[in-house]
Amino acid sequence: MKKLLTLALALCLVFALAGTASAASDRTDFIMGIDPEYPPFSYLGDDGEYTGFDVEICQAVCDLLGWKLEIFGVNWDEKLVQLDSMECDCVWSGMTILDSMKEAGYQISEPYYDNTQVLVVKADSGFASSADLAGKDVAVQLGTSGEALLNDDLADLAATFNNVITCDSFLKCFTELEGNAVDAVFVDLPVAASYVSSHDGLAVIDENLGAEQYGIAFRAADAELRDQVDAAVQELVKNGTYAEIAAKEEYVDIVNNLLFLNK
Amino acid sequence: MSLMTMIVKMSEGLSKTCAIFFLTLLFSLPLGMIVALLRMSKVRIVSAVTRFVITVLRGTPLMLQLLAVTYGPYYLFGSNVARNKLIPVVIAFSINYAAYFAEIYRGGIESIPIGQYEAAEVLGYSKFQTFMRIILPQVIKRIMPSVTNEVVTLVKDTSMAFTVSYQEMFTIGKQIANSQTSFMPFVVAGAFYYIFNVIVDYLMGRIEKRLDYYR
Repeated sequence: MKKLLTLALALCLVFALAGTASAASDRTDFIMGIDPEYPPFSYLGDDGEYTGFDVEICQAVCDLLGWKLEIFGVNWDEKLVQLDSMECDCVWSGMTILDSMKEAGYQISEPYYDNTQVLVVKADSGFASSADLAGKDVAVQLGTSGEALLNDDLADLAATFNNVITCDSFLKCFTELEGNAVDAVFVDLPVAASYVSSHDGLAVIDENLGAEQYGIAFRAADAELRDQVDAAVQELVKNGTYAEIAAKEEYVDIVNNLLFLNK
Repeated sequence: MSLMTMIVKMSEGLSKTCAIFFLTLLFSLPLGMIVALLRMSKVRIVSAVTRFVITVLRGTPLMLQLLAVTYGPYYLFGSNVARNKLIPVVIAFSINYAAYFAEIYRGGIESIPIGQYEAAEVLGYSKFQTFMRIILPQVIKRIMPSVTNEVVTLVKDTSMAFTVSYQEMFTIGKQIANSQTSFMPFVVAGAFYYIFNVIVDYLMGRIEKRLDYYR
């Protein structure tokens, strides 16, 4: 009886292992974790469907590999927890690669975008450099690379500000600025450029603060998946699909910072 | 970051959490009574309008009301967004909780038998005296458990102030969680809320016992 039980358990284990192994190689769908409010990388399009540069590239990768793409809007400041809890297979949404992610064991793709942080102010405010903002209030989006920078590499600069206000979306940061509740917004250059171009009375301070790179995060156990996606992206770069997507009008603000196209 | 620094950092935000909590109670408890009396008004139009306002306040998420109070004036009239977020936060919380308290008060007031009003009238009490000396003391006793319920909920709801960038305890917890890629701040936040509520529960229990003078 005992032997039978052991055998049964062993068989279960074998099937279980076989199950996970085949799931990795015979993947049929791929869940992409995005910040749905991060144009032009990922956002809700005019037709109500998710779109953006990252979404289009991911769709092309899935087409290439024969996967069905599913898009999952993550809560940006808990994105890695949601990745770990299997709610999505990757976080791919203009995500800045942080050392802390690598230290925590996440598999990170090749960096594909060189990002720069800037300060956005009111055009008539007269602020021309980060030094002018000493003693002023600055808003930053919670969970973004800008916030991480102000806590870390740019902590000295942050200390000169009166207050660093964290908002849960970049739209709120800009609303605070336009409503005179803060004096500047610290944000990624492409986001700043696209917002300033569509809203009057704002200006980007011409000073690059902290250059960072974007990549895709996968779970620690998914090295193979990362390699698959990396290879597929390179394939897209080679066959011209990547450049074709990047050439679209809505991505004009980011095209110059795409690493694969400017090598 | 050590657990201790985490706790110290987050307890700095705790004073702001407490500010929302106490100010909301201070304003919403009396405001609720006014709303309850308007709701029970014999003038049809007054009670109908109050009823409508209560359905709006109870029927839409508090988070939405917070956004409306904070950013609504800017989007509608182009006026400035408040620099001190405590003001819009307390306004939104007080109005919302007043709606809930009003319904609790109404339930309490309507549970008092009509015979007591008649008896008071016979004894020569004015309407105001009847309400203040006979009805209200009994109402307060009866509604205490429901009020405790709301007060406990309020402690947890203060975390919603993060949607309008008010830097209270939970917002700071989220900031630490981000920069440290750690789940620990949420555990600390949970502990803070729980301890806060245990204290609230104890105090409300004490008050309930004090009011138990006829049993």
